Amino acid sequence: MKSARTEIMRNRFAAIAEEAATLAYRTAHTTFVKQTQDFQVALARPSGEFFAFPTMTGVTSAVCQSVDGMIEPFRGDLAPGDVIISNDPHRTRGLVTHTMDIHLAQPIFFDGDLVAIAWAFVHASDIGGAVPGSISPDLYEVYQEGIQLRPLKLRRAGTLNRDIVDILQDNSRIGAEIWGDLEAMQSAMRLLDRRVNALCRKIGRDAFVESVDAVMDYAEAKARAVIGRLSDGTWHFSDYLEGDSPDDAVHIRCRLTVRGDEAEIDYSGSDPQVHAALNFATGGRSHPFLCLALTNYINTVEPSTPVNGGIIRPILAYAPPGTLMNAAFPAAMGNRWVAVMRTYDALMGCLNQAVPGGLAACGAGQAGIISVAWPDRATGRTRVAVVEPFSGGSGARVTMDGVDANDTMVGYLKSTPIETVEIDTPLIVREHALVADRFGHGRYRGGAAVAIELESRSDEATLTVRGLDRFRFQPWGIGGGTPGGCCETWRNPHKAPESLGRIRVVTLGRGDRLRMVSSSGGGFGRPVDRPAGQVCEDVANGLLSEETARSVYRVVLDAGAVDAEATAKAREGQPNARPGDETAVSHGSARIAYEATLPEISSSIAANAVLAAPAGMRRFLHAELKRDLREGRLSNDPLAVAEAVRVRIEPR
Amino acid sequence: MIRIGIDIGGTFTDFAIWRNEQDGYARIGSLKLPSTRPDYARAVIEGIGRIAEDLGIGRDDEVLVVHGTTVSTNAVIERSQPPVGLITTEGFRDILEIARLRLDKPVDLFNRRPAPLVPRRHVYEVPERMLADGSVDRPLDDRALLAAAEHAVQEGIEAVAICFLHAWQNPAHEIRAADLIRGRFPGLDVVASHEVWPQQSEYERATLALLNVYVKRLMAGYLHEIEGFLSRTLPRARLLVTKSNGGAMSAAEAAALPVHTLLSGPAAGVTAARTLADMAGAPDVLTMDMGGTSTDVALIQADRPTTAGQAEVGDFPLLLPVTSVEALGAGGGSLVWIDAGVLKVGPKSAGSRPGPACYDQGGTIPTLTDAYLLCGYLPPEGLLGGRHPLSADRARDAFATLAERIGESVEKVADAAIAVATATMQARILPFLARQGVEPSDLTLMIYGGAGGLHGPLLARELGIRRILVPRIPSVFCAFGCLVADLVHDAVRSVRGRSLDAPAIREAFAALAATGRQWIATQGSSVTQARHVADMRYAAQSFTVPVDLTDWVASGSDLPALAKAFHDEHQRLFDHADPKAPVVIDELRTRSFGASPKPDGTPQETTAGTASPSRSRDFRIDGALIAGAPVYSRDRLPPGWQGGGPAIIEQDVATILVPPGFTIEVAALGDLWLTDTNETE
Repeated sequence: MKSARTEIMRNRFAAIAEEAATLAYRTAHTTFVKQTQDFQVALARPSGEFFAFPTMTGVTSAVCQSVDGMIEPFRGDLAPGDVIISNDPHRTRGLVTHTMDIHLAQPIFFDGDLVAIAWAFVHASDIGGAVPGSISPDLYEVYQEGIQLRPLKLRRAGTLNRDIVDILQDNSRIGAEIWGDLEAMQSAMRLLDRRVNALCRKIGRDAFVESVDAVMDYAEAKARAVIGRLSDGTWHFSDYLEGDSPDDAVHIRCRLTVRGDEAEIDYSGSDPQVHAALNFATGGRSHPFLCLALTNYINTVEPSTPVNGGIIRPILAYAPPGTLMNAAFPAAMGNRWVAVMRTYDALMGCLNQAVPGGLAACGAGQAGIISVAWPDRATGRTRVAVVEPFSGGSGARVTMDGVDANDTMVGYLKSTPIETVEIDTPLIVREHALVADRFGHGRYRGGAAVAIELESRSDEATLTVRGLDRFRFQPWGIGGGTPGGCCETWRNPHKAPESLGRIRVVTLGRGDRLRMVSSSGGGFGRPVDRPAGQVCEDVANGLLSEETARSVYRVVLDAGAVDAEATAKAREGQPNARPGDETAVSHGSARIAYEATLPEISSSIAANAVLAAPAGMRRFLHAELKRDLREGRLSNDPLAVAEAVRVRIEPR
Repeated sequence: MIRIGIDIGGTFTDFAIWRNEQDGYARIGSLKLPSTRPDYARAVIEGIGRIAEDLGIGRDDEVLVVHGTTVSTNAVIERSQPPVGLITTEGFRDILEIARLRLDKPVDLFNRRPAPLVPRRHVYEVPERMLADGSVDRPLDDRALLAAAEHAVQEGIEAVAICFLHAWQNPAHEIRAADLIRGRFPGLDVVASHEVWPQQSEYERATLALLNVYVKRLMAGYLHEIEGFLSRTLPRARLLVTKSNGGAMSAAEAAALPVHTLLSGPAAGVTAARTLADMAGAPDVLTMDMGGTSTDVALIQADRPTTAGQAEVGDFPLLLPVTSVEALGAGGGSLVWIDAGVLKVGPKSAGSRPGPACYDQGGTIPTLTDAYLLCGYLPPEGLLGGRHPLSADRARDAFATLAERIGESVEKVADAAIAVATATMQARILPFLARQGVEPSDLTLMIYGGAGGLHGPLLARELGIRRILVPRIPSVFCAFGCLVADLVHDAVRSVRGRSLDAPAIREAFAALAATGRQWIATQGSSVTQARHVADMRYAAQSFTVPVDLTDWVASGSDLPALAKAFHDEHQRLFDHADPKAPVVIDELRTRSFGASPKPDGTPQETTAGTASPSRSRDFRIDGALIAGAPVYSRDRLPPGWQGGGPAIIEQDVATILVPPGFTIEVAALGDLWLTDTNETE
């Protein structure tokens, strides 16, 4: 019975993948793997797509990846026991997403036929390069982010190429531990090989291959059913990553086209790759990072969708070469995640138009990691520790409020107990709490901002926070919901407040404090449509002031209860919602002001035009074009802008 | 002394009876009554009454009742109790709202954190601050504290928990706050976090304290009712209550610290399994307790406690040493459905209401239990000798639509659904075993609970487990666990960030052991054993490994020997160790035991008995129909009897399926061994 066999084999494949991932986790060496589970082991078809992927251990964001970028150079030259290694984003077509991730692949043969590919990756805590840990937002060339290994044969028919191991170990600050992790991954891949062979012996090669097809077809059918329920048509949305100056922002442009049960996602018009570690490589294919909002949506509404690459088959994604999300060599990408988050937000903006009734407002849109370094008296050495992750509330959803203090897209972030922070570091946490009134308002409210205040007990504590954004452009609200709040940071907020803006590094002396208030989620629907009882609850819970309840929600409270009469009166005369209002977006004043001089269309025209220039000239040219467009010296006519580029790149 | 073990489940309330200490395991008696939800005490009282009557127990007889109750667990899962309040350090009002930040399903756009047990409005901040080293950064503001308590009282709160930062290190502020409130507001029930479990981690510690006050009144009332009955009818009876750590405690202790009962149900089953594993000589056992709504598995290894440092109950973390049980989510009530043309079982369940279609309580969606009935595994006249009837017609109706869509017969689809369920469970168990580093072929599967006997053998085949042990009294096995539970006390001391020398560590363990001795004495017994455990890690790691230091403490060894104990354990668990890396300790824990007597499990000489099938039945397995398979009645199988599959063995609610190629043997103690003699792949 095929309907039962598909489910039995799906379970069998999942069990094999989970078992291997568990083995890898158990035997991995570095703390980093144990702590963050930033590794994975899975099974791919010979063509490269994953058909079995663990969900209980390790990261899941690579389900729709393809191993083909690693295998392709060796097609026709593969043997049992071969192991291919690479950490090169540019030469694996974005299978590797930054150099710290070391990937391995091992072809699995049954009776001489290639039947599957075992794959594993592990995030190495250091792969060499300019800074310990190899990641810094300021790095701008992949060379600064450590050693690069293009796909190479680490093992030929089981025999280890010791040279590669030596090169790898000599170029990492923690070479020995990394090799320990890679050995754990290899033993997990050998387990996959044994299990796949046993299964092929039991059910036969043909039944195995058929079952692989069947479980992937199952995921595809689920995905098609969800996409089929989206409205046909084409939608656009823009969002921005912030730069360091007010006229500097990285424009992300997304176009979603739905036709029947297929979707096309196009990032044409997005800005060129940047001179910082914020880019990512997607290899000119339907890379999972380009589709995350849609694949997450499919998994949300159809949780029984099998976890494999079949889900992405009905999705075609494209980003022009040289853009932020299809960055060309030698772009740096260590700190890519915030860009992936903003790409996600832009696609979510399109989905809100394609899903009848809309889906979700924008979330805090950052995943900051606070860490601290201080001189340790006992050893005289500098010690480093991670303090807390720092995100902010999620956007409100079509049927419910946002999540407070954390964005759903980075829901895997886990906080450290305050008591642990105070034992392990010289910091005292003075406050870690939600911030009243600090979220987008609406029929459903956005997730609240979180505040953290840290005091140093060391004479010199150096704090770094990577992955921050949303200091200027608010997370957008939708359908009449107001935008969420922006991030703010201060040194010594109570005695001599000094606003710090987007922190990279800040040094605190004994008794100095750092206070950070996160961005927060946008609201969904009109605040005046929120039931007065819920507004009253928020006030009772201290999350909303009576003043905001009255001015924004038009709910009048009297001694903690809703004054029904006064509320009815205050809400009287509000215009009824009009068709189309449910997808109206409110971006907040900073973005409106920015776009007043440089509208989305101008940004896209400039980006498209500048991609015609040689890569080395783009950065300077792009700044010039944006300045000229903003100051009216150039009209936002694509032909005129293209001509301006042609003139400037012409050899003089 | 007469001992009665009692375990309450959703459908049945089970009793195990040990009449006389001279009686061995083979003479433990049982009783099974329908549960009386929501007034669970009624079935308990009725059962004790019936047992007393049957055995002629009178007012002069000494009786020990050991009770496992889910009254507290249900209250937490259903959040049925009146609101409670939390008093905490200023700046941390959102200790519960933020929790540990993480969301359980990161790809779910509609994900949310479960609502805290206490809404934000009932969390009261008080100026005070301890630092990590236990020094006072800011003294407790008495007036603000009393104002907060008054505020709570005005808002109708009847019980509060106090959790201040670093109270695990220095509880002075919590003690003072609790005293002040108890003095001023005698009607307000107060518990401080260090009184419940003084482990470092403020969110988890606050949650424990809250859970405790949340179920306290309910539990006290429930125990009062049972104790009242006992004092009226059996004045020489004593009541003990089982704990989540697999042990037991006095009823008074359970009324004061009911938080320890929250996971006691599954824990008692594992306690029973460990006792039987010892008697039957099975060193490594995988337990499988399959009921209507869930299947729990646990791993029992000789000389290793089945203990986890943290578990979950309902939406909440339980940071306590508890018996480690893995819930698989599938049970007899799991729904069978079609998804994009693919046959699925679960994760949704028909639960106990409406239950499987064949129960004829209004359920119309097919379940696994309906599939068992259609495949001929269950007796057509129903369970408990027909007192719990089953409707094959209802089961067939429920499967009809699916069968039509697939284009196969109802029976074939039911058989396929059972195979799908086996694969689904296997997909959960294999990684679980891999995590523990054990090979399935080295294990014995011990099955109990209503559906374990049916699905256990099927699962064992897929997992590659060759030996299956079915206890003599599988359907009241958790109640048997209550009977054999020792008094067990856990104590903890957090020492993260401190560099302690060997004498200081031994001193800390001695203090923990003293607490245990005192506790066991209060329960009316004395300590028979104490185990010392340290939660240790490499300094650069974030997760700890529990290391048994009992021998180290006794031997008076030095710190390098302690580090070596950790390296050895790390090597055993993870296949590698780094003897040069610095090692640190986060927690010291001592578990004290006051052993209870166990029934004699010495096997007696048996002669090979004979038995004949009571009838025959067709059943379906692996897509094939087996005609006229023998059906045995369990109570007519004498010790020493041997047989083989295919066969079915019937016993009250626990039917056992014996697949082809399995041998059956009734062991000397009356337990049943099944052995898979099929060739391996």
